[in-house]
Amino acid sequence: MMIPLPLFVAVPLAVAFIVPLFGQKTKSAATVLANVATACLLILAIYIMRTGQSGIYRVGQWSIPIGINLVLDGLSGLMLLTISIVSFAAMLFSIRYMEQYTAKPKFLSLFLLMVAGMNGVVLSGDIFNLFVFLEIASISSYALVGFGCEHEELEASFKYMVLGSVASMFILFGVGLVYGMTGTLNLAYISKTIQLAGLNNGLYFALAMFIVGFGLKAALVPFHAWLPDAHPSAPAPISAMLSGVLIKALGVYALVRVIFNVFGVSIPIGWILITLGVLSMVIGVFLAVGQWDFKRLLAYHSISQMGYVVLGVGIGAVVLAQGKDPAWASLAILGGLFHLMNHSVFKSLLFLTSGSIEIATGTRQLKQLGGLAEKMPVTRTMCTIASAAIAGIPPFNGFWSKLLIVLAAVKAQFYGLAAVTVLVSLVTLISFLKVQRYIFLGDLPDNLKEVKESKGSMAWSMGVLAGLCVVMGILLLWEPLREQILTPAVQVLVDNVYSSKIIAMP
Amino acid sequence: MEKLLLTLIFVPLAAGFVLLFTPAKWKLLHKGCGLVISVFTFLAAVKLFTAGKIVFDQPILDIWQVKLNLLFETNHLNTFILLFAMGFGLLISIYSLKDASAPRQSNFFYGALLLAVGGSAGILLTGHLIFLLIFWEIVTVSLYLLVITGGTECRFAATKSFAMLGASDGALLLGIGMIWVLSSGTFQFTGLGLPTDSALSIVAFLLLMLAAVTKAGAMPLHTWLPTSGECTKASIMAILPAALDKLLGIYLLVIIVKEIFLLQSGPLSFILSVVGAATILFAVLVAMVQHNLKKLLSYQAIAQVGYMVLGIATLTPIGIAGAVFHMLNHATYKCCLFLCGGAVEHVSGTAELDQLGGLGKKMPWTFMAFLVATMSMSGIPLFGGFVSKWMVYQGLVQMESQADPAAGFWPLWLLVAMFGSALTLAASVKILHSIFLSRKPDHLRNVREVSAAMLIPMMILAFLCVFFGVFYRIPLKYFIYPALNIERETAIMGSWNSWLAVIYLLGGVLIALLIVLLSRSLLKQRSVPTWTCGEVQPNDKMIVPGTHFYKTISSLSPFKQLYHLQEKEHFDLYNHGGKIGLLFSGFLKWLHSGLLPVYLVWTAFGLIVILTVLCNIW
Repeated sequence: MMIPLPLFVAVPLAVAFIVPLFGQKTKSAATVLANVATACLLILAIYIMRTGQSGIYRVGQWSIPIGINLVLDGLSGLMLLTISIVSFAAMLFSIRYMEQYTAKPKFLSLFLLMVAGMNGVVLSGDIFNLFVFLEIASISSYALVGFGCEHEELEASFKYMVLGSVASMFILFGVGLVYGMTGTLNLAYISKTIQLAGLNNGLYFALAMFIVGFGLKAALVPFHAWLPDAHPSAPAPISAMLSGVLIKALGVYALVRVIFNVFGVSIPIGWILITLGVLSMVIGVFLAVGQWDFKRLLAYHSISQMGYVVLGVGIGAVVLAQGKDPAWASLAILGGLFHLMNHSVFKSLLFLTSGSIEIATGTRQLKQLGGLAEKMPVTRTMCTIASAAIAGIPPFNGFWSKLLIVLAAVKAQFYGLAAVTVLVSLVTLISFLKVQRYIFLGDLPDNLKEVKESKGSMAWSMGVLAGLCVVMGILLLWEPLREQILTPAVQVLVDNVYSSKIIAMP
Repeated sequence: MEKLLLTLIFVPLAAGFVLLFTPAKWKLLHKGCGLVISVFTFLAAVKLFTAGKIVFDQPILDIWQVKLNLLFETNHLNTFILLFAMGFGLLISIYSLKDASAPRQSNFFYGALLLAVGGSAGILLTGHLIFLLIFWEIVTVSLYLLVITGGTECRFAATKSFAMLGASDGALLLGIGMIWVLSSGTFQFTGLGLPTDSALSIVAFLLLMLAAVTKAGAMPLHTWLPTSGECTKASIMAILPAALDKLLGIYLLVIIVKEIFLLQSGPLSFILSVVGAATILFAVLVAMVQHNLKKLLSYQAIAQVGYMVLGIATLTPIGIAGAVFHMLNHATYKCCLFLCGGAVEHVSGTAELDQLGGLGKKMPWTFMAFLVATMSMSGIPLFGGFVSKWMVYQGLVQMESQADPAAGFWPLWLLVAMFGSALTLAASVKILHSIFLSRKPDHLRNVREVSAAMLIPMMILAFLCVFFGVFYRIPLKYFIYPALNIERETAIMGSWNSWLAVIYLLGGVLIALLIVLLSRSLLKQRSVPTWTCGEVQPNDKMIVPGTHFYKTISSLSPFKQLYHLQEKEHFDLYNHGGKIGLLFSGFLKWLHSGLLPVYLVWTAFGLIVILTVLCNIW
């Protein structure tokens, strides 16, 4: 049975407008409803991955270049699955965690709006709708970052909003330029026009706009400055969503889709991606290792880890553009996309553990913590698993994707890039050793003697993600799963049959 | 047999992983599980050792030219080392049964112990580089998990060891990637035999070498060993840094030199010799002035790695065989030394040498085991260490026949090696005096010999030290020579006959005893307390601590500066790396001023650069 694709947008959107109707007394009903919505999305996403569906949905049965269409292919399927997993876990976590805030139904509503926006971005088949959904997700995330309404949170939210609006403006400008040059907004038709007529300077200008705009959303260095303020300020489940999926769906996914499937790869574009990736990796990780605020440290790591993803994709782009063996490009892109999935799981888990620690101790300053290993064994276990995963320790998921990226870099004879990847991985390891050392080892400060472990939904949602960190290696190693989830996504980018497939549709 | 091989590797790994997550209170389960599984792995290793060649090959992943095969192969070398590795695992789990100073978190201790055992088995048996890397990192993680059981004071040591070993693991990964390219797409290293002629292959060799020597504990990334030695429980030091890490590091080095690359005498072997010689010289000098028993033993362990590296660097059959034999001897005596040290710490509660003394009479068995192990380490004839060191020396002498000019440095290496051996003895005398001889401090009046569970492993190891010294032909002829494809009759130079030596030595001891007995009965003796001019001196003031033995050397001119720099940790790459990293990090933090306009300028700058590149406006 073909699932109507708009469900991925309609379900969260509808529930988002229902939940604010619940008052303070019936907020538990709103919580249940929101959780049901994310659970439904997860089931839908798993279902479409299982049946291996790919397809196009024409809204209102309008024919393709005229009407709005939603496209599901390997890449958007992978993104949908990632978004659904993280939003399910984050929503589960917020059942208990968000009790400390007052306006819970509003939070739920904004959360679901953000999910609707992200699902829309990854499904949208035309660039203007992509922009619209991107704005829905962005604007709800501005509000969520400032949800605590404290001084610092509002400041961070403001900075985020300014830079985010700049990004949106760039993207909109790019959309306008593209429309002017090609006369269509449908991604497939833009791509066809470009393939026929080639790129001119106007389109290059538009591409630069897109790279900067999506780069800002993805927080790649030097467009990253909003992230270390915004991600730590949000409530923990929202930090998990922002670092876990928002920067990927709005930034990396859109960037990769536009470059690979619309504009086509070329050597300078590939090198721009590699440069952005390496800068993000190196600068992000060195900023992270000097931090003493746990969430801020994690936020900088998000920049660094996104660098891995972009580096992998960039190596693939350069190899493709050079006309070398496409197998090397596939390997690099596989590494990048797999790292994207892995990062969304372990980073959201890390942010959830940071929330668990903050709610128990009231602080997230590493120097004020210590010796929590015995007081919070569950959180400790989860945090250790996630740290091992992000540091690339086998057999956890991060190891496999980093291994692929390093191997691809070596194979494409970018030895320097491989060395940088390994170095950044080492610094990541050191900074998470620091986290372990200052939070969980050592002596328990006197004011933390009465600390209580997180229970219930918080522990469960962390457990789900930690379990994924342990077993996700099989996505790569077990062939049936790999052929269902990862390989189609890689093929979408390498084979570049996106436009011809859609145009050939009846 | 294939099933046995797989269970030998994966049962300890799985059990270890599960044990980590069990509550710390279930001590009985942890101990039982640890003991049963280590007995099993030992028996399985014996079975594999006696069985013929086994190959297990299961393709796991084959995408886009990346082929991962779960490949295990047995041969003489790896099953022989495996036997030892599993044996050490078994001895440690017996020893830890009664060790009350064992860590409180027994789930971590036994879980990580099993991970280390399973990981080592995996490293030794696998024939696939990626799986070698995976097991290699599992062993690194298990060291971290073991060190953090030491409590608050260990958290720095744990972080440092993991960071340094993590760096070497990264080097290994990079090197493996390069070998993958060099060998045109295969990760199987058996009989690869790459030449070291291109820049890429030289870099790959150096990276792999760094990984191997760091695990074994040689310079330049050696400092994790003493730092963790100072605070960690002796039983932990005995199993990982002293025994398994040595076996694995030197095993990898042999594999690199003999299988992955076909190393010819030249600049690379010269670098290897320099690493070996520098490690010996530096570490013995530092070891001499240490005050903490475990730290001293750690530095000595580093020094002994130098012999193995030097032996391999000779590239002569006898030198390499000597290195492998020394590796086994070293693992045996060093494990024994740490276990004895653990027993001393167990009864006295301290490992500081100037708070110990006179334990020889109270703990005769420990004393004996310690004495035997020390003599083996110092290379005294009739003990295992002598034979293997002799073989290394002989390998060095044989370098004379090599055409390469770099091989002409052999007299220097030989000098350093012999000098190092003498200094090792000097440092050992200091330990023996400080712990077992000298005068007993008051607080040690009530100590007793440790229980049998702790003594038996020490005794077995001490026995092995003697066995390898007297019957050195058995391991050499039947195991080490075939494992390295060396002719069985490769002679050891000179007319060394261990039986003759045994008879001479026993005769000497008998004569000495006779003299003592005769002098006791013939001469009149009078024993009186020390005369202190009538003043009553407390017992503790009358002790001559061994820590003062080599003060003269440490105040001598070139050594004084050396020790000074060592005290300030100038030889510690971890510190330097950390400082550079923090400097860079501080600079970046300074750039992130939090001002919105600055961030907007960065964005604009990025846009301009990207536009320039894309639109070709140069």
